[in-house]
Amino acid sequence: MQIDIEAVKKEHVGFAFDETTFDIKAETLANYARGCGETEARFLDPGHPDFRAVPNYASNFHGRRNLPENFPADILRSFDAGKCVENLAPIRPGDTITGRSHIHDIYEKTGRSGPMMFVVHRMEFTNQDDAKVAVVDWRLVMRLGEM
Amino acid sequence: MKLDLHNHSIKSDDGRAKVDNYCKWIAKRGLDLDGFVLSEHRQWDGESDYRALEDEYGLLILKASEVETEYGHVLVFGVNDDLVNAFDFADVRIPLRTVLAEAKRCGAFAVPCHPSRAIVGMFSHFDEFGPAEGVEVVETLNGGGRGTENDDAVHLAAQYGYRGVGGSDAHIVSHIGRCVTEFDDDIASIEQLVTALQGDRYRALSVDLD
Repeated sequence: MQIDIEAVKKEHVGFAFDETTFDIKAETLANYARGCGETEARFLDPGHPDFRAVPNYASNFHGRRNLPENFPADILRSFDAGKCVENLAPIRPGDTITGRSHIHDIYEKTGRSGPMMFVVHRMEFTNQDDAKVAVVDWRLVMRLGEM
Repeated sequence: MKLDLHNHSIKSDDGRAKVDNYCKWIAKRGLDLDGFVLSEHRQWDGESDYRALEDEYGLLILKASEVETEYGHVLVFGVNDDLVNAFDFADVRIPLRTVLAEAKRCGAFAVPCHPSRAIVGMFSHFDEFGPAEGVEVVETLNGGGRGTENDDAVHLAAQYGYRGVGGSDAHIVSHIGRCVTEFDDDIASIEQLVTALQGDRYRALSVDLD
């Protein structure tokens, strides 16, 4: 795969390409926390006075698109290189969370298996009061060149 | 003194270790280590100040960079403003001769790391480009070495007359201290580390942590 990374960066980095809303339900938060092996009541018990989503919950959200239209790489040939979640405010039942996606960065590196391109898909989440609650950076890695 | 010359923190895109957690791990496990170097990928971290951690844990914590060249990855010790402006650290195709020459000009010191590893190691490019001129030291012992990588590096370093250093290439806390460099002289600053590397009073060591 031959890609002019600087040209791709210039065309796509910093431009919003998706917006999705998510309605937050108590049962979903509790089930997610249970699935994570959480033991604290404030994450498991909807009756707890400080009930909220577990810290990694925002990584569970996906927009309608993973990459911008016309992005010159095949999502099916990429794989997940990890997520980084920054929590800024609690996510609670009854919230309506809006996630806005943009490409935050694109960079190249070389590993044991050859050259790779990393795409950092950033989703910024705000609640119904327009307060920012979380930022999730999702890295996608795509192999470049011949193996 | 023993220094681990090659580690990554969360400042690197693939690093998962916070520097304070490296310190806690070293203290908790009682590792025979006097300090370590953070060599973040494709960047110079001019911001982070680890002096408080040094004082708290009695460790020397130095900063370096790991850049990428046509001969693979290279550790650069003694990065300063002049060197930061000499080439683009984020470029994955910096000519090795540029890294070596600019490091020398700016008072820094460049060390190809994991040199026997395919693609990212210097020796794997000798068939294509020929032996690299100007290299004095290579990382003969790398904590991420697989199979015969480190043995090959030791053998080839001896063949080409390179001195050897050791570094763990840790990206998670439990990997620090696997490979270290033992210096005969005390080192208290990055400048002293550069001076020491220019000499020959050190050796690479592999440490069995299990």
